[in-house]
Amino acid sequence: MTDFTRMTDDQLAERPFDELVTELQRIVAKLESGNAGLEESIELYREGLRLHAACEVRLQRAELAIADLGRGAGETPAAESTDDGPGTAGGSE
Amino acid sequence: MTADQPSLWGAAALPPRVLRVSELNRRVRQLLDADPTLADVWVAGEISRPAFPASGHCFFTLKDAASQLRAVMFRDELARSNMRPEHGMSVVCHGRVRAYEAQGVYQLYVETLTPAGAGDLHARYEQLRARLGAEGLFDEGRKRPLPRWPRRIGVVTSPIGAVWQDISNVIRRRYPLVELVLSPTVVQGDVAAPAVVRALRRLYARPAIDVVILARGGGSLEDLWAFNDERVVRAVADAPVPIVVGVGHESDVTLSDFAADVRAPTPSAAAELVVPDGTQLPAILGRLRDRASAALLARVADRRRLVGTEGRALSALAPDLRAARQRAAELVDRGQRTLIQRIGRERAVLGGLQDGLRALGPAATLARGYAVARRPDGTVVRSTAEVAVGEPLEVVLEAGRLGTRIESVSAGPPEELLA
Repeated sequence: MTDFTRMTDDQLAERPFDELVTELQRIVAKLESGNAGLEESIELYREGLRLHAACEVRLQRAELAIADLGRGAGETPAAESTDDGPGTAGGSE
Repeated sequence: MTADQPSLWGAAALPPRVLRVSELNRRVRQLLDADPTLADVWVAGEISRPAFPASGHCFFTLKDAASQLRAVMFRDELARSNMRPEHGMSVVCHGRVRAYEAQGVYQLYVETLTPAGAGDLHARYEQLRARLGAEGLFDEGRKRPLPRWPRRIGVVTSPIGAVWQDISNVIRRRYPLVELVLSPTVVQGDVAAPAVVRALRRLYARPAIDVVILARGGGSLEDLWAFNDERVVRAVADAPVPIVVGVGHESDVTLSDFAADVRAPTPSAAAELVVPDGTQLPAILGRLRDRASAALLARVADRRRLVGTEGRALSALAPDLRAARQRAAELVDRGQRTLIQRIGRERAVLGGLQDGLRALGPAATLARGYAVARRPDGTVVRSTAEVAVGEPLEVVLEAGRLGTRIESVSAGPPEELLA
């Protein structure tokens, strides 16, 4: 399992979002289990806050990335009838 | 005899249940609505006298050699359709049969209209559906759940037009934390089926794609036909990761839809299905943080309670420090007293010694009336032999000193001399 505690905040913010959330959920569950000692609980809590902050940063910075496999793949679709519009050109009139 | 005849209004003759017209029509409508076959029906016939009133809807009669059926195609369906109803046209209509209560007629509500030849398409569709279904391609057991938190989403659709825009917009709005990988394809015409298969295979060859969307906007049965093509259906079933198919409108169900892990009614719906609702994420994160805080506080409170309990237990077990301290104090007191007494005793002893010493000293002797005779150099004179007449002699008394000169000297033992 990835050791998040060794990461800097910046490194943390680069991790996949779901990993951060999953780790945060794991920490909360461990805290809630009551199995951790006080010192460990404080450490867990501190780590949880760090993860939470990283998640927030990820959410704020999130920008949809788009890759297009068509470029260079020789797929240049010819113009086709657009779908839903009225007056759509069809082959059967 | 009249008395024996049953009364016209006797018990045997309850008044008949008289329905109002609207009640009857409703009953008929409900009867028709309850029939699943009538809810999704394909009807072949010839269009007769279509009417296009200002409402934008189209009313016509569908007929064959023996019968007629009233049909209506609403404005929206008409706008979506690739063909316009014309008198004498042989068509296959897809839609549902319902009763129109207000006029007491039943009619076909047409959703899609295809030329009669398309009836062949429908037959092929049903054949292929049966064959692939028998192979197990559409089995529920094959359906995989969609990943909860996808990171990379593959999209196979036409890069031109609204569908791709809709999909990317929905995902950008809901969950912009992902990467969309567009594998563009033609989605219409004879070339569509192999192109869709190629686009799918291109995505399948990419690593780290978590889920695939295959989408196309609405259209006629022929427009969507590529998605009923066996090659496409098999490619969908072959997806190495979960695949969502969203083709056409709610009412368009292609064989690709059946082969998909999840069928979406529209392309936008497909996009919504593959990503979590990111707008909820800040709230979810906030709740997690609150839970962490609460858990930590609970842990601290636990610990505090424990420390309290342990502390009390400990003090119950501990030796009585106060008593010990008191005992120690007493010891110190006693020691001190002993010491003081001892010092007192020592001091008394010392005092006795001092007295003794003093008795031995010259002062005490002088006090008893004796005197000391000294020569000017301080030497004590003990015998007449040590001095001569006329020499100075200092006589020290208890109180004071006499300066004298020797006038005579007589030798003898002290007892005689003092007598």
